[in-house]
Amino acid sequence: MKQKLLTYLTVLMMASGFSSCHDEPDYTNDIYGNFDALWDIVDKRYCFFREKDIDWQEIGQTYRAQITPETTSIELFFICAAMLDELQDGHVNLSSRYDTSYYRKWWTDYPQDFNMRTLEEHYLQFDWLTTSGMIYKQLPGEIAYLYFPSFATPVGEISLDYVLAILHNSRGLIIDIRDNGGGLLTNVGTFVGRFINKKITGGYMIHKTGPGHDDFSEPYPIEYEPADSYRVKWDGPIVLLTNRSCFSAANDFTSVMKSLPQVKVVGARTGGGGGLPFSSELPIGWSVRFSACPLMNSEMECTEFGIDPSPGCEVHAKEEDLALGKDAILDFAIDMLKDYPLPEGDEDKSN
Amino acid sequence: MNRLITLFLTGASLFLTTAEAVATTIPDEPENRERLKEEMSESRPVTGIYSLELGHRDVLATYLSPLHYTGSVTGVSGSWSKAMPFSPEKAVMHFDTRMSFSNLLNPAGTATMIGLYGSFNWGMSWRHKLPSEFQLTLGGTVGIEGGAYYLLRNGNNPVEAIANTGLAIRGSLSRPIKIGKLPILLRDEVSLPFFGVFFSPEYGETYYEIYLGNHKGLAHAGWWGNNFRIDNLLSATLDFGRTSMTIGYRYEAYTQWACQLNTKIHTHSFVIGVVPGGIGLKKRKPHIPASTVYSLY
Repeated sequence: MKQKLLTYLTVLMMASGFSSCHDEPDYTNDIYGNFDALWDIVDKRYCFFREKDIDWQEIGQTYRAQITPETTSIELFFICAAMLDELQDGHVNLSSRYDTSYYRKWWTDYPQDFNMRTLEEHYLQFDWLTTSGMIYKQLPGEIAYLYFPSFATPVGEISLDYVLAILHNSRGLIIDIRDNGGGLLTNVGTFVGRFINKKITGGYMIHKTGPGHDDFSEPYPIEYEPADSYRVKWDGPIVLLTNRSCFSAANDFTSVMKSLPQVKVVGARTGGGGGLPFSSELPIGWSVRFSACPLMNSEMECTEFGIDPSPGCEVHAKEEDLALGKDAILDFAIDMLKDYPLPEGDEDKSN
Repeated sequence: MNRLITLFLTGASLFLTTAEAVATTIPDEPENRERLKEEMSESRPVTGIYSLELGHRDVLATYLSPLHYTGSVTGVSGSWSKAMPFSPEKAVMHFDTRMSFSNLLNPAGTATMIGLYGSFNWGMSWRHKLPSEFQLTLGGTVGIEGGAYYLLRNGNNPVEAIANTGLAIRGSLSRPIKIGKLPILLRDEVSLPFFGVFFSPEYGETYYEIYLGNHKGLAHAGWWGNNFRIDNLLSATLDFGRTSMTIGYRYEAYTQWACQLNTKIHTHSFVIGVVPGGIGLKKRKPHIPASTVYSLY
């Protein structure tokens, strides 16, 4: 009896021991513990060390040397934020209750190439239609214009039907995503589906398979399906306007659209943001966001550093011209489309 | 596998066929009379335990965060068991199901994680009477469990889904005692899954990529080295006769190690439940059927 009871208890105790396997680092909630936690999280999970030739070990040592036991949490925040800026990545943020760090140089060091007031006043004449976050209008010369300032909210399929139906009688479509800082990647598929007639591979996604800087999966193709047959589609020429402030999902949208034969990308190189960000956190309660899954274009090239305009289509809109009501990028696009014929059956209406 | 399914279906149908079935009209033939007599002589009631569980949960899910989240857990559980007709004194079949909701905070209290979890297990056990009124049961179960832990402030990695199916060893040790005239059954019950299949994304894989169709490497064979789990319930069941009440303490551990992602969930719960019909410890007046075989003790 005692033997059986002992066996029973021994099995139980052995079994409980298994649950302590694979221990994780136990970061302390102090100045050094939080710094080390941040460095470690980024070291294991950030995905662009190789592409950016970053020596994270050395950066960690440099910034760790700046902290002392007397460093306050606010001082620590700004030391950590400066360390994260070394990643030169707009998808990297450190968020506390008093600030969110943000690397801005991906767009502040470049011309803006866009002025909303110029667009509204001189091209749209303060008269446009708005739906599902999209601004649209048919410009003089039967050229359709659609401005999409953000992918932050889902694009409504029915709204898109109306927009494309209303703009249908046009020689070409200008999609302007200048200053679009990104948002939902699913919007890319919603849009692209209106411009294709068969399934395409618009890009690839990879992810980290372990904490090593080179631990990555095989690229997985991101396929885009045509919109349902009952949806309104656009099969004419398209000019996509971009500037340096196109980031993240807008960058991905540019990457996919550029692979379509009927699309020309006009303007400036996009701002990048070709890594899907993950979130994590520090013992002190701050959250950290960082690029974790690289997105590649259809040629399997990294999109983190932005997407160039189509050959011969790099155009910049000077500040002084914009102030005078002239948007060189938009003018370039209108010039490209003005000689295209109207869709069949619509020629008579234009006359 | 087919044998397992057959055993499951046979067991389930037997379980659902209670002693009350004898009340149905049976042709008055000698063999039927004999069978009826036999069945009237023995009853095998279903013992159902319906419990509320309140406790504390500690979750480490490194896909979401390197920090432990802790907080409250609230759950309900149901456990049904019944002695089997082919060996009523030895064989017991049981169904267990449990659901829990947890509301957890990170150590700094700046982020909330919520969890929803459920499980369902079916199994058979064999019981052995030991000296000094001890009873040992040993058996196996097959089960499924699943849930999700949702970290509200995360962007592209907001959730860790948990899905698991497999086989478990199940055992219990029990002994009746009396406090005054009140019979009490002290019982410790352990379930120890030993083989199964569980879900895990790869180290930095987003659910978006899975949604796009990349299902490679999501299923992992689980054993004690990478998916150790244990569920231990220490309980005291107070038998009032027609009804019993059970109070207890449950310790539950769920650990998972796959793709260098670590998941550890430890739960300590206070359990309070009711057993309609009692567990048969308290003596009652003789009645028909003459013999009643309870499944718990």
